[in-house]
Amino acid sequence: MKALDSLNVEDRNEERLQVEAARQDPARFAELYENNFERVYAYVARRVHDRQEAQDLTSEVFHEALAGLPRFEWRGMPFVAWLLGIASNVVSDRWQSKAQQKEVATEGVEEVGVEDGIEKRAMLYQLVDALPADQRQVILWRFVEQKSLREIAAKLERSEGAIKQLQLRALQNLREQMRSSHG
Amino acid sequence: MASISLADQLDDAIEMMIAEPDSAPPKVDLKIGELLGIAAELRLLPDPAFRAALRAELLGQNNPAPAAVYSDLRIATAEAEVPWREQRDGAILPTLSGEGYGNYPFHLGNIAISMAIHAAVIAVIAVAGWWMEDTSRAHRDSGGIFVMKISVPPLPADARKGGGGGGGNNATPASKGALPRFANEQLTPPTIVVRSEPPKLAVDPTLVGPPELTMPTMSQIGDPLSKILSVPSTGYGSGGGIGDGRGAGFGTGSSGGMSGGAYRVGGGVSAPRAIYDPDPEYSDEARQAKFQGTVVLWAVVGVDGRARGIRVARSLGMGLDEKAVAAVGGWKFEPGRKGGVPVPVQVTIEVSFRLL
Repeated sequence: MKALDSLNVEDRNEERLQVEAARQDPARFAELYENNFERVYAYVARRVHDRQEAQDLTSEVFHEALAGLPRFEWRGMPFVAWLLGIASNVVSDRWQSKAQQKEVATEGVEEVGVEDGIEKRAMLYQLVDALPADQRQVILWRFVEQKSLREIAAKLERSEGAIKQLQLRALQNLREQMRSSHG
Repeated sequence: MASISLADQLDDAIEMMIAEPDSAPPKVDLKIGELLGIAAELRLLPDPAFRAALRAELLGQNNPAPAAVYSDLRIATAEAEVPWREQRDGAILPTLSGEGYGNYPFHLGNIAISMAIHAAVIAVIAVAGWWMEDTSRAHRDSGGIFVMKISVPPLPADARKGGGGGGGNNATPASKGALPRFANEQLTPPTIVVRSEPPKLAVDPTLVGPPELTMPTMSQIGDPLSKILSVPSTGYGSGGGIGDGRGAGFGTGSSGGMSGGAYRVGGGVSAPRAIYDPDPEYSDEARQAKFQGTVVLWAVVGVDGRARGIRVARSLGMGLDEKAVAAVGGWKFEPGRKGGVPVPVQVTIEVSFRLL
């Protein structure tokens, strides 16, 4: 995944073509979704700090984006900036509907697009998919399903010690990948 | 060994972080501090099943789904150890006796309700059958049900008749003589009163009517039944025929043919069609005797669509003949046509009386 500020002219032209294709045929929305899911989710998750709510809001963002695609105007900004603008509104609406006195995200589209924390977290989510299968499975069960080591060991028919080692290697792999990605 | 202790230390910190997410980060070895930071980020790692499901939903159906759906589905996922999508499908489409059916609770009350509903449906079916049989029997006892079969069978064209014709606007009735031959088309009308020189190309005079009709021959053309011998005349009528009617036929009628006659179906003559045919009544005598059968009537359907001259061609008796005649007399027909023109047509009508 390329950082937003590293998108060159060629990348932006390709993204523009993807947007135009999706406007003509909603089935072509797949590429835009795949390229931007982690960023949108990371942005939302950073604000709500709850996986369940983050997933609900992310779903809302992409549904609104797909519905509003015919109204999208290309102004030279990355497509994800438009998505994050929608996400900002969706999060604000959710907070307002809950009548909570929380700070509402006030970032502009340009600001949220290059937010470093979002980029790092989005990249981390993508790197999990690139882990070896057994390490990835341990990470998903441990952090998404929140299973105990004993449960994971039973499912994989391995010892708890072996699972601890897999967990450690997975996190070390992720650290190395993050370091190499950010130089 | 050091690696194992590092793994243990890391897992203890992760366990504490998961159990108490709002607590302060545990104090750990610097070696694992960075790893624990990554682990903290992974606490909000999106569910891959959600990612795939949302993609399929966006691309498969463009209708927005309620966001709360995912909350419900995630609760199901947390409780079951099957993939997210499979759990969703299984919840929607449980099997009656297939895999996992034992997971559904057994309620004796539901069985009782089901049996009661089935019993009620069977009772309704049984009562409906009994009611139909009883109603049918009541109708048979009263003789109020009958079936009437009506037909207008076509007859051979060799005996067609016309409706008559008229003469040449003469001052006297048609004089006595033989009718000229009948033909489908008239080239030369019969000439009894000669007002001009004979034509150079003579054509035998004809009347419009069935060519099969044969008449006695006489030297003079005229009305065979006329008593006028001295004054030659084709009659009061008009249209090139003989008689007092209109048209190229003979007699007092119109449209060709012989007066008072009617066409029969066939040879270009269409059959009349009943357009208003109310059922005849069943006679009391026949109803009590449970008598059934078919009455065949003979009638002429005029150009006005009414049946006239109704006669019984095959009697059934027990008052049914009269009932059939009375009914057909009130019917309205689409008249038969010859060349698109309504003509009187002779028909037979079968009226079948049946008790159910």
